[in-house]
Amino acid sequence: MPITSIDTFLCVWCGLTVHAHPADGPRRNHCPSCLHSRHVVDHVDGGPSECAARMTPISIAVLRNGDWRVIHRCVRCDELTSSPVAEDDNRLILMRMAVRPLAQPPFPLEAFGEL
Amino acid sequence: MARRKNARVRRVAQRRKDVLHGQGRHHRSHDFRCAGCRLDVSLSAPGTAHRNHCPNCLVSLHVDRRVPGDRDADCHGRMVALSVSVRPDGEWMIVHECLSCGELSVNRIAGDDNALALMRLALRPLRDPGVPGAAHEALLTL
Repeated sequence: MPITSIDTFLCVWCGLTVHAHPADGPRRNHCPSCLHSRHVVDHVDGGPSECAARMTPISIAVLRNGDWRVIHRCVRCDELTSSPVAEDDNRLILMRMAVRPLAQPPFPLEAFGEL
Repeated sequence: MARRKNARVRRVAQRRKDVLHGQGRHHRSHDFRCAGCRLDVSLSAPGTAHRNHCPNCLVSLHVDRRVPGDRDADCHGRMVALSVSVRPDGEWMIVHECLSCGELSVNRIAGDDNALALMRLALRPLRDPGVPGAAHEALLTL
């Protein structure tokens, strides 16, 4: 597939130069290495956001069709966004976020062994 | 409103609550009825002063716009639990997604939330080998 554009952005957290259009799938909006994003779209009112702060990945959501989405939270204004996981996203960070609730359960897990 | 007494255990202070439930359009003074399972839910919950979801089915309503508690949203759609997030201090948060407009919100879990529903939510990424079938393999090779 020929490269149709040279649209890149710098990751605000790890400084990686990221190609905004991967070979497969839609335009990416988070760094594939550290999964951090940037707050550029205002989801409450729509349109561009003036915040432009860093957004940290906080959790993994699984849609009904089995696709994974990363949920980001803005460190400055606490707005939440979600974006689809690309093929070359960092699997270690994805799995770490997915199993983190099980590492720190708020209730004892022994009771679930009987179910 | 019952507040937690042992404030020194809590590492992150909760946002101050300034919503007057008796004056809202859709809020009665003390309790609400769940939009998902029609359970009558009392607003006083163990462990949190900001209960916004049903402890049985974890369904919430889209009433806040930008700041939690402002009661300024025009949507009033049903919000279902999408995933579980963990704060750095170990507190679980539920991420809700509005079925009507797709807006997201987070709320801390309460002490009487349905543990089975919470565990099903937390295990959802591990149950389904969707995108990261390779991630499972990568985890096994670690």
